[in-house]
Amino acid sequence: MEVESNLLIVVIDVNPAQKYVRSDSKQFFNCVDSVLTFCNAHLMLQASNKACVIASHINQSHILYPIEEREGVTLKPIRQVDGQYEVFLELEKSVRSQIKKFVMSDAFTSFDSTRSADSSGNFTTCLASALGKALCYINRKERELTAGEKLNSRILVVSGSSESTAQYMSFMNVFFSAQKLGVIIDACVLGPYATLLSQGADITGGIYLRPPHIPGLLQYLLWVFLPEASLRKQLALPPPVPVDYRAACFCHRQLIDMGYVCSVCLSSK
Amino acid sequence: MGILQHFAECKSLVDYLKTLSNHVVDDLFGYPAACLAIFRELPKLAQNYVLRILYVEQAIPQAVISTWVSKAHVKEHSEAAEAISTLRVWKEVTMQGGLAGWMLDHKFRHNLKVALLGGGKQWTKSTNLDQDSKPRTVKDLDLYALERWEAMLHFLTEKQQKSDTVSKDTIMTLTHAGLMEQDENNAPSITNEGFQFLLLDTASQVWYFIVKYLETVEQRGLSTAECLAFLFSLSFATLGRDYGTEGFEDNMQQFMQHLREFGLIYQRTRKAGRFYPTRLALNLASRNNKISLDTEKHKTGFIVVETNYRLYAYTDSDLQLALVGMFTDFLFRFPNLVVGVITRDSIRQALRSGISAEQIISFLKMHAHYEMIKTAHINNPLPPTVVDQIRLWEMERNRLTFTDSVLYNQFLSHRDYEVVRDYAQETGVLLHGSDQKRTIVVKGSGHDDVKRFWKRHSKNSS
Repeated sequence: MEVESNLLIVVIDVNPAQKYVRSDSKQFFNCVDSVLTFCNAHLMLQASNKACVIASHINQSHILYPIEEREGVTLKPIRQVDGQYEVFLELEKSVRSQIKKFVMSDAFTSFDSTRSADSSGNFTTCLASALGKALCYINRKERELTAGEKLNSRILVVSGSSESTAQYMSFMNVFFSAQKLGVIIDACVLGPYATLLSQGADITGGIYLRPPHIPGLLQYLLWVFLPEASLRKQLALPPPVPVDYRAACFCHRQLIDMGYVCSVCLSSK
Repeated sequence: MGILQHFAECKSLVDYLKTLSNHVVDDLFGYPAACLAIFRELPKLAQNYVLRILYVEQAIPQAVISTWVSKAHVKEHSEAAEAISTLRVWKEVTMQGGLAGWMLDHKFRHNLKVALLGGGKQWTKSTNLDQDSKPRTVKDLDLYALERWEAMLHFLTEKQQKSDTVSKDTIMTLTHAGLMEQDENNAPSITNEGFQFLLLDTASQVWYFIVKYLETVEQRGLSTAECLAFLFSLSFATLGRDYGTEGFEDNMQQFMQHLREFGLIYQRTRKAGRFYPTRLALNLASRNNKISLDTEKHKTGFIVVETNYRLYAYTDSDLQLALVGMFTDFLFRFPNLVVGVITRDSIRQALRSGISAEQIISFLKMHAHYEMIKTAHINNPLPPTVVDQIRLWEMERNRLTFTDSVLYNQFLSHRDYEVVRDYAQETGVLLHGSDQKRTIVVKGSGHDDVKRFWKRHSKNSS
């Protein structure tokens, strides 16, 4: 009677400042390919599975898939060109074309020049806002359910940027609301150890993983992140990494070992 | 109870595939859509295994795969491995050094990759299809599918068959499936199985019907694998989109005409050059598939059952009323509502015609009104008292069990009686023994043994 479906939201970091992208830009496209195949593999598991891809960039984040139908705009249907299943093709095409837009746009190419650096000096990815968007999306989908339907949602973050502690508050808000909603946040980190994401994964019951080998990303995604929560219990997965639970100082936005907590507003100094 | 068994046999795609011969399954692996459908039917753990070794082009030792699950779940592991093996998705091979290993079927591996990543050929030539001058909306298609499917169900229920509503092929399939039989006037009439068929949900009906239809396609000169692959491709198509018929050979065109008749695809005319899949065809093979053909006139959830055994059916469809009427006594009828009551007699009447309590309950559950689903527990929208009572009424009929047995009586002495009774008890064939009447009942299977014992015993004592 009950119809269960799984919603997977992938937040992909398209910031060109990521270390692995800077060292070899081909790796970035390899990574996008892996994520797309991973999304399609998720859709392949069950007919009722849903996927959503969100790109997180410097100071902005966009939903790349599904493309919402707006009034007045009729989308040209994507026709099958080869043996690939139509839904997979649609996901791949829409994500690819929009990532292309990002790459061609100013924000991506002008990174190396000094022009954008002076305007804000901010190269960090808006991961927290992308996660917030993901949670809003989940919330909307939950509301659209009719009686007798159940939606299990989770979020996977694929990112290689070193996170800024400036977003500490928004991150924590996102993690705790995700925990309240019962949404799992997984983190697949392609750069240095990400303190906040590992905390988030720990809080929401997700997995934090740093694949040692980026070209083999797809295999890690399929192995560790594809199984849903109930199946994960049965699998032998890599042991969890110890979590660094340091908080960020409110005034200087730096991680601190020891701090003072205000008894009224609970902010740490 | 024929249909229940038949139905259980081909309920899921996996069970159906098991009934097919090896070469048909092998042919199926040649189609990406079929591979995708088969993959979706695997248990979750098995899916995980297949995906992990999708890119490994060599055999994997079994011992390695068994380390992928934690120790506490060995049972699930063997189940998953078993499921993959029975569908022949992987083969057991012996690796160097005598290790037992598994290797994915190369055809399956290739075509699953095609479905996932692209490559190969598309299944319809619709890339260059121009815009349909009169495009069909999803609503139109739903209406059409419902109309076709109901026409067939109506044909099943009608007393006086007017065979102009459905085609000869449909009747042939219905007769082949045992849902109808020829009566003395040589006119088809519904069987007990047919009644049970009517109570199934639409998705199961379509699947059962198609399975039975596929059994007959070989006679029509079509290949089972090709038809199945077409159905799978169709089931992965997008609702409300048109596909070109160009490039299909004559026999497949004929197959499409049949599907059109059943309401699985829509074609404006035979030579339209394009077709639309309908909701009946989508996710055909999926196990927990629910088809809801909601139109204004015909709602899927229309039944309200109360704890006082009253049943309210918000419908004016004759077919739905006929179905509800199989186990309900109607009290009143209004333009859009029928009020009935579920009684012991009405349920027993349904039971007598071969319908099981489980079927009645699942029918009620399936068609439970939206308001009932909302207020009650999600998996059981019906009042528990009514469900229990329907089950009890069924159990009432099963109070007697029949066993082949032999009666021994007229023992000359109580001693003889005791000896035989004790012997029968020891060998475990005693069903009943009465000291007062000196009668013993033993199972039919133990009769020879007891008889021999008695002969030996009487010889020895005399």
